[in-house]
Parts: sequence; C-alpha cells; structure tokens
Amino acid sequence: MIASAGVLGTCVAGIAAAPAISFLTHPLVTPTTSGSDAYLPVGRIAQFKGAVPVKVDLYSDKVDAWNRVVDVKIGSAWVWERQGQLVAMSTVCPHLGCAIDYDADNGKFLCPCHDSYFSLDGAVETGPSPRGMDALEVQTEGDLVAIRYQRFKQGVETKEPV
Amino acid sequence: MLAWLEERTALPGMLRRFADHPVPGGPSMHYVLPAVLVYLFVQQGVLGVLLASHYSPSATDAWASTVYLNDQVASGWFIRGLHHYGTSAIILITVAYLGQLAVTRRYTRPREMIWIATLGLLLVTMVLGVTGNILPWDEQGYWAAQVELGIMEQTPGGEALRTVVQGGGEVGNFTLTRLYTLHAFVLPVVAAALLAGIVVLGRRNQAAEATLQPVRAQAFASGQLLIDVIAMALVGGTLVVITVQTHGSELFGPADPTSGFQARPEWYFLFLYKLRMFFEGPMEPVATMVIPGAAAVFLVLAPFVDPMAGRVGRIGVLVVLGLMMAGVIGLTAVSITGDAANESYQKALTQAHKQAERARGFAREGVLPEGGPAVFRNDPEYKVRALYVEHCQTCHELDGFGGDEAPSLTDYSSRAWLAALIRNPNAPRFFGGTKHTDMDPYPATTDDEEITAIPDDQLDALVEYLWKLQGESDVDEVLAKTGATLWEDELDCNGCHEIAAGEEGSGPNLLGHGSEEWVARVIRDSSQADLFGEEAEMPTFGEDKLDDEQLAKLAAFVVRRREGEAVQPVEAEAEEE
Repeated sequence: MIASAGVLGTCVAGIAAAPAISFLTHPLVTPTTSGSDAYLPVGRIAQFKGAVPVKVDLYSDKVDAWNRVVDVKIGSAWVWERQGQLVAMSTVCPHLGCAIDYDADNGKFLCPCHDSYFSLDGAVETGPSPRGMDALEVQTEGDLVAIRYQRFKQGVETKEPV
Repeated sequence: MLAWLEERTALPGMLRRFADHPVPGGPSMHYVLPAVLVYLFVQQGVLGVLLASHYSPSATDAWASTVYLNDQVASGWFIRGLHHYGTSAIILITVAYLGQLAVTRRYTRPREMIWIATLGLLLVTMVLGVTGNILPWDEQGYWAAQVELGIMEQTPGGEALRTVVQGGGEVGNFTLTRLYTLHAFVLPVVAAALLAGIVVLGRRNQAAEATLQPVRAQAFASGQLLIDVIAMALVGGTLVVITVQTHGSELFGPADPTSGFQARPEWYFLFLYKLRMFFEGPMEPVATMVIPGAAAVFLVLAPFVDPMAGRVGRIGVLVVLGLMMAGVIGLTAVSITGDAANESYQKALTQAHKQAERARGFAREGVLPEGGPAVFRNDPEYKVRALYVEHCQTCHELDGFGGDEAPSLTDYSSRAWLAALIRNPNAPRFFGGTKHTDMDPYPATTDDEEITAIPDDQLDALVEYLWKLQGESDVDEVLAKTGATLWEDELDCNGCHEIAAGEEGSGPNLLGHGSEEWVARVIRDSSQADLFGEEAEMPTFGEDKLDDEQLAKLAAFVVRRREGEAVQPVEAEAEEE
C-alpha cells in the first residue's frame, strides 16, 4: 500500500521535476550569450607605436539571453609593438580572470589579485598564472588596427577558447 | 539509528504520527481535496521558483525574458503553462472543498475556522492569479493591470493605495517589482499559512471524530495515503494533458500603451467583469465593491448563521449559497458566450494573436534594451526603413518627409510620376534641385517654337512605353507601341536616352529604369556612364556603406512604394514603438 503510494507519488513529483532538469540545464545545451567573431576596430597604428603597452576597450553588438545590445563594451586588450609587430593580449588573467595591469616602472604586466607577473612577451615570470597572457588576433587595414576578441578557459595550461 | 535521529530531531516520531493519524470511518474519497490542494501548492511553488530563475521583473525586460523562457529555454513553455493552469485547478478545488464543507455541514462548530481559512485561500489564490497574469507584461498583462488598478482606485482611499501598489503615478518598473514581490514572496507565505491551517485543523477534527468510533478508524498510511496520491495523480495528469494540448499558456505581444488591446480578466473573474456591466458610471463600485463585499461577509458568517432558528438557518444558507453559485456560473457563461459571439472582439483577438506571433518571432534575434516594443525594430521592414532614413531622406522626399534637393520618391516611377516628370523635369519634385537639368519640359500645348509640345494622348502612349521599358507586367501593348514610335521618330527621345543594355547617351539609359536592379545601380554609383554620368550629384554607396543585401532591400523598398503595397501599417506601428 505504502509502496504503491510511493511509486505513484514519485510520478506526481516528476511532473514538475522532470522538466525542471532540462529547464535548468538549458545553458549546457544552447549558448545563451554570443559576442562578435569579427575584427573590432580599436584605433590607428600610430597610437600603438613604441614598446609601451596601450589599453584599448573593444565594442561590439552582443546577444545576452533575451537582449540584443548594440555597440557595448565587451572587453579590453593591451596593444603594443614588439619586434616591429603589433601584438594584442587580453587583459583577462588566465589564472582566475582578474584584470591584468601594466606596471610602467618595471616594464612588466601585473595581475594585482594574486601577483602574477608577465613579461613584455606575455610569458609568466612569477606568480600562480598557469600560462602566459592570452594573445588576441590583430589585423591592420590601411592605418587602422582591429582585434578579434575572445575569452579563454581559465586556470588551465593550454589556451582554449570558451 | 532511528532512535539516534529521534533523540536529536524528533523527525521519525513526527513521521510516525503523520502515518498513524486515525482516519474516521476508514479511507474515503471524501477526504482527498485538502491533500490535492497541498500537492498543487507545492507544485506551484516549485514551478514558480523555476520561472523566477529565468524572469526579470522590469518594465523593459519582463516581456522579453518571459518570451525567452517560454519560446527558447527547454521545457519553458511547459513549466509556464503548468504554473498557469495550476492556479485554475487550485481555484476549482478550493471551491469544490467549500461546497463539500457547506453541503455536508462540516463547517459549523467547531469547524468554522476551516471554512474561513478555505475562503481566505480562495481569495489569496485569486490575487495570486491576478498578480501572476500581469508579470509577463504582455498586452494581456499590461491592460489587465490598468483595469485592476483602476478598480483598486475606486475604493475609499484608493488613490493612495493604487500609487503604493503601482509604485508611482503610472505603471512602470516599480509596478512589476512590487507585484512580483507580492506574487512570489508575500502571497505564497500567506497561502501556505492558510493551507497549513486547513490541513492541521482538519486533522484535529478527524482525530476527535475517530475517538467516537475507534473501531472503524484506520491509520492514514494504511489506505487514505494511497487514495490521496491517486487523486493527486488524476489532477496532475489532467493538468499535464491540458498544458500539452494547449502548448502552454497564452503569451501576447509586448505591452503597448497605444494598442487599445481589449483586456479580459481570467475566467475566475469573468463573473465580476460581467456584473460590472449592469452598474454603469457612478454605480460601478456597487459591482466592484458593494456586492462582492456583501457576498464575502455572508460567506464568512455562513457557518454561524447555519445553526440559527432551527432548520430555517440551514435552509436559508444553502439557498443563498446556491443562488450565489448559480449567479457566478450564469454570469461567467454569459460573459464567455457574449465574447464568442462578439465579432469585433474576435477580430481584435485574432489581430492580437497575429501581432503576438510576429513579436515573438522577432524576439528570437534578441530584444533591444529599450524594452518589449523595441522588438519590432527587428522587423526587416523597419530595418530597411532605417537604412532609408539614414542614407536617403536628407535629399529625397518620401511620403511628406525628407529634403527636396533630389527627386521625390513618393509614388516613385509610377505612371503619374513619369508623366509629371516629362511635363516638367526641372520641377523641384524632380531634378530641379540637381545638376541634371538638360532635359526640356514638354507641356501639352505651347506657343514657344523652341519647345516641343506633347498632347495628353501622346504622353499616355509615351508613358506606357516607359512603363514597358521598366519591365512592368501590366502593359497596354498597343499603346506602348504607339509610344515607341513617338520615342524613336517624332519626339526623338533616343537622341539622349539609350535603351539598349550598356549604351551611353547624354541622358541616362532607360532600359529597366525604375526597376529594382536599375535603382540599385543608381544607389551604388549614379555616375556610371550609362546612368547620370558627369551630371550625377548623388553620393556613391559602396560596399562599405551598403552590402549587396542591404542595397537590394533598399532598392526594393523604394520601388515598392509605387505598387500601393500595404506596407504602411507595419511601419507606422514599428515607428510608434
């Protein structure tokens, strides 16, 4: 008697519980946010001449669950010249995602949250970061510089896009 | 193990007392309704929490987040639908339980509080329904809110009450945050307390009854439990079937204060809605306040009136309750059949459903942060219109808006437009504001020897020929043939205008002029040698300004204006929003 009540009761509970599982795990199956794959303009080449990194903000359209937002900040990057080449690195620290700052006195990058230091080629010098700073793809068109912004998995040694 | 837990939590003992509770007279169908109510409330709570995890109570986000959870998130429609129909089920079962208590006279001393708590539960559930239906902030929710807040305002001190509930002088963000708080936090606690009262008091009464006939009483777990669960399964199964069959609950387009949506309350308020129609103007509060208030007072007092004056009280109460029930059912039926037969209402409803479908379709691309109605900016028609406003409107006039430096695009390249252009190409409406002024005017009659006149009948023929060059389908071939002869010989139009593909003349080549392809070429670069050449003044629109798809759509937009296509309402609506 109690057993059949238990079985039937479980079925009744399942009416709400079963859809709850697919409802709550929806983000595992379908992406709910999407940014831009395009190269986003950040400025003119002349702005980045020299070895001192310049911080730029990236703007793009973005879909965030039910919203479509136009031309909003999606992240930022450090841009500088290295061996005659423009390089861009994400400001997101590969350790736990704090914003990497530039320490002009020592000519190094520094993540202030957990004291990871990065050299000007982006490699880890000291601190807990599992890998060097994440390079972003840079493109120049005429005298304009554009960057393709991506986010990468944190806390792992290899650089993989999220 | 159990002893260990018992010593520390007393839970096993509570569970045992729950299972051993004596059911007077043994298991019975008569006892299931409170159990079903408990099931429904718990289920509503679970579904409500799930919905809350995906819902955003703000005037700009409420609709968009509801559409997203309903149309995009897996099982969202089912969860929302089940939550919606669950309220109806609670109302039906609460009314059934009240009926059972009254008919079996199990609401008199000492059970009055069970009756009153059940009445309270009915009221709270109805308010939960009202607040819940507003939350999606769709047309239905928005307009229902207007009406319900309006009714609230008619009560004594109602203006202040409305401002407090609404969170300001008019509906907005605070309306939703406040109603959401009521619906999701305050009212459920009240409902849970009332339901706990119903169950606990009911059990106390059963225990007392069981002591009178201990032999026939049976432990709850040995029979009643299964019957209760079967009843829950039946109700739950019915709800699932209804939810699946209707594919969830209705969801209209975004709240639009300009739409004039014909709001109807939920079915359980239709009787009040109908009742109101019998009391117009200043008498309205009679229907919204006095009658419902009197009925509520009577309902609360019923168990106390029942035992009065021998059988008179009993019969009186049953008659009044019967009449009230009949009144509610009658008014509800009248309201439903009235709407079903009301053509203008049905038409408006069909329109609202269509609008909802469009809006929800556009919402798949994401809704701009401006709010629900901004979803219509995802309309391709709106987008091409925006391109037009950005790139063309400064110089070209269209439907009364825009500059006069370039030819008007109102009715662009229609027969009337072509005829007027030939008569006076240098009018401000045509090329008057441009460098392209070489073409002579061709009036109907003239005394000036320098000027060629084109009589009306010849002009008709010429326009028909141009109509044919344009690639139109409804050409009067005979007339066009006359026009072709005039074109080549008498009027010598081909002296300036070539009509063979790619040929250059001093005026633009008119093969396919006014067609989408021709207009697209002009937009891209009107200074091409076979178009306006050196006289072109219009800026070029390269790939950097308009990609191929945008160009084609913009050209189609301009050309379509002459076809009298009913695109206007769509745009007007999009612009309003």
